[in-house]
Amino acid sequence: MNASLASFRANRREHGASITVAALSSGFGVLLLQVTGMLATYINHQRLAQHDTTQAALTILAVVFLVISIYVGSIVTTNTFATVIAGRRKSIALMRLVGATSQSLRASVAGEGFVVGIIGALVGAVAGLVVSLAALAILVGTRFLPEFAYPLVNPYIFAPIVVVVLTTWAASWVGARRVLLVTPLEAVGSAGESSVRETRSRPVRNTVAIFMFVIGIGIVGLGLVLGQNSVFGLPVAFVGGLGSFVGLTLGAHLFMPSILRLVGGLFGGSAPAKLAAQNSLRYPERSTRTTIGLVIGVALVTTLTVASQTFAALIQSAQAGSPQLFPGATAILAIILPTFGGLIGFSIIIAAVGVVNNLSLSVVQRSKELGLLRALGFSTQQVRSMILIESAQMTITASVFGLLLGLFYGWAGAQSLLGSVSRRFSGVGFVPLAVPWLFIIVTLVVAVLFATVASIAPIQRAVRLSPVAALAVE
Amino acid sequence: MPLSKTREDYVARVENLTKSFGGGSGVVVALDAVSIGIERGKFTAIMGPSGSGKSTLMHVMAGLDSPTSGQAWLGETEISHLDDMELTLLRRRRIGFVFQSYNLVPTLDVRGNIYLPFELDSRRPNEQEQQRVEQLIVSLGLANRLSHRPHELSGGQQQRVAIARALATQPDLIFADEPTGNLDSHSGREVLAILSAASLDTGQSVAMVTHDPIAASYADRVIFLADGTVVHELPRSTPKRISEQMLSLERLA
Repeated sequence: MNASLASFRANRREHGASITVAALSSGFGVLLLQVTGMLATYINHQRLAQHDTTQAALTILAVVFLVISIYVGSIVTTNTFATVIAGRRKSIALMRLVGATSQSLRASVAGEGFVVGIIGALVGAVAGLVVSLAALAILVGTRFLPEFAYPLVNPYIFAPIVVVVLTTWAASWVGARRVLLVTPLEAVGSAGESSVRETRSRPVRNTVAIFMFVIGIGIVGLGLVLGQNSVFGLPVAFVGGLGSFVGLTLGAHLFMPSILRLVGGLFGGSAPAKLAAQNSLRYPERSTRTTIGLVIGVALVTTLTVASQTFAALIQSAQAGSPQLFPGATAILAIILPTFGGLIGFSIIIAAVGVVNNLSLSVVQRSKELGLLRALGFSTQQVRSMILIESAQMTITASVFGLLLGLFYGWAGAQSLLGSVSRRFSGVGFVPLAVPWLFIIVTLVVAVLFATVASIAPIQRAVRLSPVAALAVE
Repeated sequence: MPLSKTREDYVARVENLTKSFGGGSGVVVALDAVSIGIERGKFTAIMGPSGSGKSTLMHVMAGLDSPTSGQAWLGETEISHLDDMELTLLRRRRIGFVFQSYNLVPTLDVRGNIYLPFELDSRRPNEQEQQRVEQLIVSLGLANRLSHRPHELSGGQQQRVAIARALATQPDLIFADEPTGNLDSHSGREVLAILSAASLDTGQSVAMVTHDPIAASYADRVIFLADGTVVHELPRSTPKRISEQMLSLERLA
């Protein structure tokens, strides 16, 4: 533990992003559980429902939202550690040269991850507690909520804290795998650019990913068919959707680089655009992880939006014929869906931290190359556009891909639930997809804005670099 | 050192150039009122022990760094007061670089690296330029390596790509910073022969910073720097003669 603390202190500048991610996940979890506990008390006092069932239902929902956030957080942290390791190759090689084993070096990196997890989780937990208690005080103070004996601390909040510490630790261990590939010889090697093939064939993972995707899509199809006769098509389609989606995220390295290359080509053939397109594919594994983190959040929120819009459209057309049907359904949807959307969308914030961090580290790690480009006559304006395009390439790819996935899964959800209903009312078993244009436009605008904002700091760092740095021999 | 020739004979020159780093009591003078000229169409070597200021001199002459005082010209352009964009364009269009550690762009293949100077200028090479570059590629033995990435090449091959990149736009002047420093002696001689042939056959001006007497023996003229000033100059000389000069500098220091 002492050794971990020491190496964490020595490298703490590199861990800002991972601490932020751990704090966001843990704070989110603590806040969710706190609110769940308070809501349950409120509902119980109002005698709206059975206390135990409410508490259980709310907790299950909270766990689902939390699992999504922590999953995305783990991807981001794994990626951050992999990138940090890439920057440390020289010093790792030196340690190997003087006799350290790669296993012990990897364990030492994971030790840093453990410290990162503890710090992040505690900071997040304190923030979550403070926010929840302050909100409660304000809501009760303004008589928005009646004065009940609300539990001040939900006893279960230790769970997200512990889980965040453990997942951060595990993510750093996975991210540090590359330590094993560093050879002692690199410490004495030439100063030339060492290029590392990051993608390796991973037959087991690839097989599992493809298997889950194909079978998952098959089960979705089954759900769609079942949905023609009963509402139980939904749970079947849900299982298939979950399986195929997890398959997609596991196998993202198989297709995401190609999509990134395709999107990169859209920015034209200028030197900055060409170099940017190449850069995001320099480390395909890292770009894939950065992108997929965003895809998950965008896809889930889109799924929810599309499903609800399709649902609402169908209810409306049914109500047009017979207004007494589904009383209050649209009103309930209008409240629940934005809330769920926001809670699922929290993972997007975590993924965004990953994007910013990936861009910043990539600028730091190729400062020599940026200096070279400046020496060869790359203007600061060209450096700016190159990094902006790199940012846009990842963000836009993630948004468009996420939106497309969400359109499919959202429609599949609505179709499997409502196919039978639609057949009963309109005689047609097909539920038309309601495309949420406004949502899509807003998502794309936010994506472009975010791409711009995320590139500000990396660009500043890049244009400050002196071209003389390129000439300095390491 | 007074400039004995007319201004037109020099592709680049500096007058009273001083460059110091830091401030107060910790100030380090890297160049102390240096005045020299690099002859047009010649292969010039700039030699000196570590810390003699030879790299700093090259940085200032190439528009990578600005002098503390004094002037630097590239042709008729006084460059010490140019802004960042003007310097960028100057480096892009009128200067070529060859570095010790090759410094190719790792994500681009050989062809992409060689044509990079045109790309940076957002233009396609015209037919004449295209022809010349393709000839260059053949004569440097890179024709069957065009789709390779830098890491797939040997050091000597990488350096030949860097030279092709530097020669591609026919710059006024090519700066080579210890171009043989990372190479075995065979590849090193190859690289020196290419640079010397470029100046001999096409009149390309080349300025090479080095501390290797064998490398300097390929040059038409050798300028010696020590402690930030020009201390000696030799015409084309044998490695032995250059070594002796270098040793005498070391003894002085």
